[in-house]
Amino acid sequence: MLTDRELERYRRQVALFGEEAQERLASARVVIVGAGGLGCPAALYLAAAGIGEVRLVDGDVVDRTNLNRQVLHGDRDVGRAKVESAAEKLRAQNLEITVVATYATVDDGNAAALVGGADLIVDAADNFRVRYILNRVALGARVPLIHGAVRGFYGQATTIVPGLTACLECIFPVAPPEEGIIPVVGTTPGIIGLVQANEAIKYITGTGDLLTDRLLVWDGRAATMTTLPVEREEDCRACGNGRCSRR
Amino acid sequence: MLEEMKREMQVRVRAFARLREAIGGDLTLEVPEGATMSRLLAAVGGTSEQAGEALFEENGELRGYVILMHNGRRVRRAEAGTLTLADGDEVALFPPVAGG
Ligand SMILES: [Zn+2]
Repeated sequence: MLTDRELERYRRQVALFGEEAQERLASARVVIVGAGGLGCPAALYLAAAGIGEVRLVDGDVVDRTNLNRQVLHGDRDVGRAKVESAAEKLRAQNLEITVVATYATVDDGNAAALVGGADLIVDAADNFRVRYILNRVALGARVPLIHGAVRGFYGQATTIVPGLTACLECIFPVAPPEEGIIPVVGTTPGIIGLVQANEAIKYITGTGDLLTDRLLVWDGRAATMTTLPVEREEDCRACGNGRCSRR
Repeated sequence: MLEEMKREMQVRVRAFARLREAIGGDLTLEVPEGATMSRLLAAVGGTSEQAGEALFEENGELRGYVILMHNGRRVRRAEAGTLTLADGDEVALFPPVAGG
């Protein structure tokens, strides 16, 4: 049951999708992997929306070069663990929720434990090595994964529901190239991170149409957002027939 | 002349992200009738040095991560050499990004 204080806090969105949906948000656990450009805006808006437990996972510390886009961190946070800096802001934003900060880099060995018990995983990572690990873990645990990625003025997002929709490896069988320094303007991960948060809210409350089997493509230069249809690949190495031969 | 006998067809190209920046917008390209997806990609890559770099590796191979769509359907990289295009078709090209 929501308290009077909660009902007041969430009044504008309860007016949109009802008390029961707000209760679902309050009992949801969301794991956000990455407390950087995508993770900061996604986490802030999910905290504000009243997600009961927001778990942040990141193994980095705040660097001054992060500050143009990683909006939960400020000058005084340089050198701190990103998850600590972000968790502090989220707790100040919303006293009603639980914020768990895990200072760790996701790898093959720890991924399942780090995202264990989650209702939803937000892929706010900055490389495809970690993303493919999250995809496999999400498929194994049958937990939806909300993907986002950015570069420059460009971004993409999609929602993966294991067993039902195209998975990350169906859509991206080959990873885009790794770069040392990825140029990016802060508004790009701001927009994509909020698309991811919006997907999470929709999934948990059962509202609207998810970005499943669609790849949303944002072009900040042209100011256009398009969705491209994608589909499950039968021979996908992660979710299709191809998985037996490889693993 | 044989060249004149061969008819051309028009294919619309929608490019996204860096590829769009390299090309400068959407394109309509004339390619020989019966041209394959690979032939079209070569023509797109030929429009500018940046477009070529966005689509092809230094050895001339198509960059494996570029998402190819034909009339709203995903095309696998391995199919590009055999998939023939028709007049009025639309091809969409998206080079995905990896940062966070
Ligand atoms: Zn798959």
